[in-house]
Amino acid sequence: MPIGQKVVLIGGGHNALITAFYLAKGGFKPVVLERRSVVGGGAVTEEFHPGFKASTLSHTLGPLRADIARDMQLDKFGLQIFRPDPRVFAPSPDGRGLLFYEDAAKTAGAISHLSAKDGAKYTEFAKELEKVAGVFMQIAAITPPGIDKPSAEDFWNLLITGRGVRRLGKKGMLDLLRWGPMAVADFVGEFFETELLRAVIAARGIFGANLGPWSAGSTAVLLLRAAADPHPVGSATFPRGGLGEFSRALADSAKKVGAEIRTDAEVVQIQTKSGAVAGVVLANGEEIACEAVVSGVDPKRTFFQLLEPANLDPVVAMRIKNFRARGNVAKVHLALGDLPTFPSLANAVGPDGFHEALSGRIHIGHEIDYLEKAFDAAKYGEMSAAPYLDVTIPTMLDPSLAPTGKHVLSAYFQFAPYHLKEGNWRARRGELVNTVIKTLGMYSPNLANLVEAAHVITPVDLEETYGYTGGHIFHGELALDQIFTMRPVLDWARYRAPVKGLFLCGNGTHPGNGLTGACGANAVKEIIHELR
Amino acid sequence: MPQSYDVVVIGGGHNGLVNAAYLAKAGKKVLVLERRHVLGGAAVTEEIVPGFLFSECSYVVSLLRPEIIRELDLPRHGLEILPLDGTFSPMLNGDYLWRVNDHAKTQREIRRHSRLDAEAYDEFSKKMTPMCRFVKPLLSMIPPDPTTLHPKDLRQLNFLLQRFRELSSEERYTLIQLMTMSAADFLDQWFETDVLKATMSASGIIGTFLGIRSPGTAYVLLHHYMGEIDGAFRSWGFSRGGTGAISLSIAGAAKEAGVEIRTQAPVEKIIVKNGRAAGVALKSGEEISCNVISSSVDPHLTFEVFLEPKELPGDFLESVRRYKFRGSSGKVNLALNGLPNFRSLPGVGAHLRGAMSISPGMEYMERAYDDAKYGHFSRRPYIDMVIPSLTDPSVAPPGKHVLSCFVQYAPYKLAEGTWDDQREAFGNNVIDTIAEHAPNIKELIIEKQVLTPLDMEREFGLTQGNIFQGELSLEQLFFLRPVAGWAYYRTPVDNLYMCGSATHPGGGIMGANGRIASQVILKEWKKAAN
Repeated sequence: MPIGQKVVLIGGGHNALITAFYLAKGGFKPVVLERRSVVGGGAVTEEFHPGFKASTLSHTLGPLRADIARDMQLDKFGLQIFRPDPRVFAPSPDGRGLLFYEDAAKTAGAISHLSAKDGAKYTEFAKELEKVAGVFMQIAAITPPGIDKPSAEDFWNLLITGRGVRRLGKKGMLDLLRWGPMAVADFVGEFFETELLRAVIAARGIFGANLGPWSAGSTAVLLLRAAADPHPVGSATFPRGGLGEFSRALADSAKKVGAEIRTDAEVVQIQTKSGAVAGVVLANGEEIACEAVVSGVDPKRTFFQLLEPANLDPVVAMRIKNFRARGNVAKVHLALGDLPTFPSLANAVGPDGFHEALSGRIHIGHEIDYLEKAFDAAKYGEMSAAPYLDVTIPTMLDPSLAPTGKHVLSAYFQFAPYHLKEGNWRARRGELVNTVIKTLGMYSPNLANLVEAAHVITPVDLEETYGYTGGHIFHGELALDQIFTMRPVLDWARYRAPVKGLFLCGNGTHPGNGLTGACGANAVKEIIHELR
Repeated sequence: MPQSYDVVVIGGGHNGLVNAAYLAKAGKKVLVLERRHVLGGAAVTEEIVPGFLFSECSYVVSLLRPEIIRELDLPRHGLEILPLDGTFSPMLNGDYLWRVNDHAKTQREIRRHSRLDAEAYDEFSKKMTPMCRFVKPLLSMIPPDPTTLHPKDLRQLNFLLQRFRELSSEERYTLIQLMTMSAADFLDQWFETDVLKATMSASGIIGTFLGIRSPGTAYVLLHHYMGEIDGAFRSWGFSRGGTGAISLSIAGAAKEAGVEIRTQAPVEKIIVKNGRAAGVALKSGEEISCNVISSSVDPHLTFEVFLEPKELPGDFLESVRRYKFRGSSGKVNLALNGLPNFRSLPGVGAHLRGAMSISPGMEYMERAYDDAKYGHFSRRPYIDMVIPSLTDPSVAPPGKHVLSCFVQYAPYKLAEGTWDDQREAFGNNVIDTIAEHAPNIKELIIEKQVLTPLDMEREFGLTQGNIFQGELSLEQLFFLRPVAGWAYYRTPVDNLYMCGSATHPGGGIMGANGRIASQVILKEWKKAAN
């Protein structure tokens, strides 16, 4: 293939921007086409109320894989990252609370106030997780092997991974195999006795998933997340100016090396000629001819809406159809006149630690059963009456997001099933706000009086505004049968699609867990390999 | 001077007896010790009500390994399997779904509910057959350990890998799904008829503390589906004289091979002398010495009750404590003076000769699970019923009948109260549930026997009332069953082996566990000899 070949990328999400960057560096001519007027996909900053800005969807980085951050020199493009410590504050209705610091020993100290035994266990757990996460990190960074004709590189990767696994030792290996399919509730139960502690750590196994803590396989999700960040409670990494700044930096870095990025450019069709990609058609009728297209949007949209059915082998079509992408998450943003108080936090850290403690993520869901009951509702097409919330107050670290003295509060709401049994999301979106205020009210009595405005993103909005089919923020369920060589589907997990010249680089591919850039960085290797 | 044996087998359940029979056939002097007055463990039949023979726990059979039937010549010892044809599922709307072994008939019946499903059902059966063929050999082999570099394990792993690669892409896809998905998600891909999916997914939850939407249940579905295509007898069946007759036929074969069997001989302790199992002490105080002990009871009893903690490595003991039992089911056996009359299909028909499954819908099943998650027995449980007396009149007086009901969920750990004070309520709740579909049931009842998980623990020695001696969940299968690193019928104590359902390939009346264990024991015996 001639160097300088044009490659069209569909969707301007973080994975596509990263792919574009590496393609440009590899001598190709990437053109990113974003449907909306702003790049970033799920990582955007938007003004939801005059003077109030929020990271509309994702509110923390995965974090981004270190090598990518290095290659793209994001700091040079004005990206400034906050890493609050403590990362997570978890209040409990009984007035107690837990703080999770960067430092395991310090956290253990905090925990031992609730249970000396768990305090001791926590440091051990942190170590165990880090060990196991190491293996998953390797796996997350490779292209899933081909089963029929494994390439030399596949064998090499398996060898490397194999050695990593063996380094865990017999017990470590057996634990790894045992944990994967386990319910995360059992997993945390093996280590801890304190419900609050169990719940906070278990939550990572169900975030964004169609699983409850008692669902088998939820531990695999937790371990997968640990690959991006081995810390027991996961990442609290905030760019100044919100996630949109992160995407902007990615875009600028990609442009710098020669990528072209167009917004308000919605691709409505991928054109093919005799089984190979021929170009794309935009909503305004414009046609762009090219022999390589990389789709950053989810598999269902890519194959069923952008591609003509005739191009799809029925077996693959059936598998893509079976690819589960039932969204279960909503997002609520509140514009607050002032900073809400958290009495239980005052107990936990005293007035001086107060500010730091609210700078990270706030976990609402103090018991395993609380989380499970929140999930139960969703199984029957109901939104949780007492939801699991992942909350941030970004204005603690970044006052620029709100008028002076005022604050923004963002809450991930789980569970909110895409398919409601009664009514529809247009009619019921208000209930989400009320439930969030009611739930947080148990911990922050004055919150309700501070709300100046609220903004809701329902699973349906996720689909219509942000383009996530089924409203699934990870482009598809992270389940045992939809990861690694099965993501998105068996035989097509190597970032290639059944149509020649069509590639995937979004979260619907391996490893597919949030804002880490791993999908894009893995995909680009395969794309360049294929096009060269 | 205490008597001495080559092998003492603890527990006279079907696996213990199979194990003993094979060891004796190999020339070993074997003694089987059974705590109760009858043999069979959970595969037992007793006259609870005068004239009525109840197969108290296990009530149907399908997975009993054909090679065992052959090698132990069980038919000559009285084993006779009578066909159990079909599954009848009454629905709440007054309709029903009735699947039978006759494929064409079933298809016509399903077409009544959905044309699409009728066609899919055909495809489905075609798809499942190679799946069973792939997994079946695993039931008769020692599961390889992927964490060792031992040539034997590597060979077996390679064998499996090759067989996997020989599968077509389609078969691989289905196999991976079966190994990882929930029964509900798996069936959702195939069918649209709620009751069909509910009834089929039911076999995915039996004996587990999982709901039909919990990943991993698709495998259990396969585990049970396998019985339906077994070479020996095509479908699930009854044993003439009750399930206990299976155990008795195995006992017959064992005795013929020279096995000595003692009932009402409860074991108190396993005697360990410098790291080796040396014998057993009975509750009676009697001591019996032997070279090898083969325990068919579950890991809790074997390691936490019969052994002193000091005899076992700490991390092993920890794993045993972690091993999940969590009984989730109960059993209600009824003596009836007539036959139930179903609203949806009145009268005495062939549907009463098969299984009757109260699993009217997916949501019904899932809600039954939700009750159990929070420590209550299901307000409306899944019930699998059979009337053996219709097929085998010998188990009830003329004109009278036995109704055997498997009930899920009944969690061992209750949120409030004890099973002793909830037993009656549980039993009545089951009868009320049945009455919603067969209103006349209440007038028919002469006597009832209600077995809660607690009763199964007390009566039959099933810890926490788990019918499979431990949950059939992915992390407790194959090389992880019962304890990761100890899935080889061996234990940390020399000359002490396991041969019960808590070992690979798990629960159900298969006998495979006992048979494979005997091979391991004999092999190691030879090794020790040279």
